[in-house]
Amino acid sequence: MRAVFSQFIKSKTFTLIVLLVVVVVFFQVTSPGSSFLSPANIKNILDSMVIYILFAIGSGMLIISGYIDLSPGFIGVFAGIMVGSLLGNGIPWYISAVLTIAAGALFGLFNAFLVDVLRIQAFIATLATGSFIAKGIAMIITDGKVLNITDPTIVWIGTGKLPGGIPVAIVISLVLIIVFGIILAKTKFGRTIYLCGGNVTAAKFAGLNPRKLTYILFAINGALGALAGVIYSGRMLIANFTSTSNYTFPAITAAILGGISFGGGSGGMLGCFLGLLIINSFNNGLTLLGVTPYWQSVFSGVLLLLALTFDYISIRNRMRIKPAKVHYDPRMWYKRNRNREDGEIG
Amino acid sequence: MGQVLEFVNIYKAFPGVQALQDVSFRADGGKVTALMGENGAGKSTLLKILSGDLRPDRGHVSFNGEVKHFMSPHQSLNSGISVIYQERQLINSMNVMENIFLEDMPGNKLGIINRSELKRRTQEIIDAFGLPIRPTDIVGNLSVAHQQMVEIMKAYRRDSAVIAFDEPTAPLTDKEITILFKLIRQLREQGRIILYVSHRIAEIFQITDEIVVLKDGRLVRTFNTPETTERELVRAMVGRDIGDTYANLKRNDKIGEALLEVKNLVTDYVHDVSFTLRRGEILGFAGLIGAGRTEVARAIFGVDPVHSGEIKLEGETVRFKSPRDAIARGIMLCPEDRKEQGLILQRSIRDNVTMPVLSQLRKGIFLDRKSETALAKEAVRKYSIRTPSVEMQVMQLSGGNQQKTILGRWTSEKIETKILILDEPTKGIDVGTKAEVYQMVCDFAKQGIGVIFISSELTEVLNVSDNIIVMHNGHITGRVSRAEATEENVLEMAMRI
Repeated sequence: MRAVFSQFIKSKTFTLIVLLVVVVVFFQVTSPGSSFLSPANIKNILDSMVIYILFAIGSGMLIISGYIDLSPGFIGVFAGIMVGSLLGNGIPWYISAVLTIAAGALFGLFNAFLVDVLRIQAFIATLATGSFIAKGIAMIITDGKVLNITDPTIVWIGTGKLPGGIPVAIVISLVLIIVFGIILAKTKFGRTIYLCGGNVTAAKFAGLNPRKLTYILFAINGALGALAGVIYSGRMLIANFTSTSNYTFPAITAAILGGISFGGGSGGMLGCFLGLLIINSFNNGLTLLGVTPYWQSVFSGVLLLLALTFDYISIRNRMRIKPAKVHYDPRMWYKRNRNREDGEIG
Repeated sequence: MGQVLEFVNIYKAFPGVQALQDVSFRADGGKVTALMGENGAGKSTLLKILSGDLRPDRGHVSFNGEVKHFMSPHQSLNSGISVIYQERQLINSMNVMENIFLEDMPGNKLGIINRSELKRRTQEIIDAFGLPIRPTDIVGNLSVAHQQMVEIMKAYRRDSAVIAFDEPTAPLTDKEITILFKLIRQLREQGRIILYVSHRIAEIFQITDEIVVLKDGRLVRTFNTPETTERELVRAMVGRDIGDTYANLKRNDKIGEALLEVKNLVTDYVHDVSFTLRRGEILGFAGLIGAGRTEVARAIFGVDPVHSGEIKLEGETVRFKSPRDAIARGIMLCPEDRKEQGLILQRSIRDNVTMPVLSQLRKGIFLDRKSETALAKEAVRKYSIRTPSVEMQVMQLSGGNQQKTILGRWTSEKIETKILILDEPTKGIDVGTKAEVYQMVCDFAKQGIGVIFISSELTEVLNVSDNIIVMHNGHITGRVSRAEATEENVLEMAMRI
């Protein structure tokens, strides 16, 4: 039991929880009327996370598998427009939504094709698919005009509340991140993501199928991007050409803060969620203090850098290696370990 | 008076292990000092301390009487110490001369590089080595052996007083080894201090003057090379007498019917390769590096495409499109490069053992952690993998234990192995563990598994295999049984003399 506890103390999750507590306590003390932890404000924070959560799920899994996807934000833009025009043509909401999400998955498969068959770098391939093709098609569909979303069910999904006052969109995103968290941690599919991300050649030589995995993960990310677009348009009552497009990078950043590494093969959904919670709580707290969005942006950057530095120090203490004076480069830590070669440990 | 490098009471601990404990010895100029020991004995840690990559917890290095506390590789280099690691530290996309003069390019005050000067000085070094490479060759395009030589040229160029080699000959062919040894002798004549780490005992007797033996982080003994014997040295390293490894092997004497028949196999790399592997047989593949042995394995395993020819498994013609298909039919491969192709280094022993059989380790849709752990523990027990737990990251294991982890993966009770392809299974493994691996190979044969045993170490491939196939340049150039094989006739076939 004690061993389990000391393991937990050293874990990334613990670091994140400490950071979260610090942020929460700070704003609870400083916010006017201690309003930070009021039920209404907690709901605000969760509400602000909905779209980020959906993006972080898919992007997080892709990064663990060794890829990156910059397209979901733009697939969301496309999805808002697509669902809007389908609804505008009198197609029932459920058919419209399902078709839109399927289209999102198709964009994902296209990304996977670019990466797998044409061997284009994921960074560039997904940027091209998203910011040019998906967004472009959206503009073609409406000839550049924005659409109003009036369908009551889609609006309910975006803004409605369940009995007890819990917003529908929050429930959807929380359920999804929990489900994917369990899949990632407990199933063969989840394990395969870690193994392929850790070393794709070794995974292939052990009989796993990394190519199939790539297609599935990009498709999931595309579908989640489209779902986010549908929810977003339901909340805003409008489908335009920026909508979710600025949400991708913050979601990826939170995933990295939460312990998913660009090297692939590590991290998880709990960390991802905590990362998002920290960043969104922080921004929310700054708003309560009356800090302008411009300064919020700067402070968020500082928080992120502090968090990564803290993380580096805790890793260093864990390894009990006192490194020479080097600038912080996460890859370096990774390389050091890799280079431990025929290891003097064990 | 010559130069002296001293290690004084060095201690170094890593989480869970005392890597070095009170290690003191001196290395004199004009001598080659060997560092020997099993994997995990502390040799690499010692070299990393010398190079400034790691700092000792206690103790220090002193060079010509001056106490040194290197805080970085840079400081160590500036003091005239070059450490050449096993892992090449070259920039593959740059050419030979840029790599050799990486941190010290000849140029003018504005920092503009003098290319003709660079080329001329590089050519001088290449000539001193006598190698068929050009200063402008891109390093990534060179053979692995030549890349290793470029790494050595880098140290040579720095004109360091201390040069430490960590397993320098592992990727080299005999030709480069001859060149390297000539060079080391030359450096010794010049009075430099040379440290030499290698698992190859024959080399140690060929090139070194003194031997320092480490075991479990402690210095066990030092020898004067001419005054010791191979047997005495091995006993010091292993801590016991391992006797005649090969004579003591418990071999399989029941070789069965044909399991795998390969006829006229042609791929991008091999030509007209035919052989038969029988049940319970250990079929050795001998040859020089690049002879096409690994490529035969890759073709059978479904990695490289087969252009023509036939592969029959238990009488049925097969052609695998991926390793997945091959594994489904009972063919397993332990690849040559276990870190790049065999293991997921940052994952645990458990994850690495269970990866091909995850489907069988489920309760409903979820993975069953208990049966996973049980399977991994079984592998740890069966192969006596030295580790505190199955949760240990594979990258923290020694080479031998890493190899055993892969063997554990392919021989678990959840998998039906018919053919096991072992590509250089003892590469970078110490003597004690090698003997264990040989016995494991014989045990596999006893269970009726057909084993393909690829190795560049002639002695082991000749003594462990029942039959030996010799390859040269993508072709089979000879076939002999263990009884007929001698190092001389196999080498002749391998080199096509």
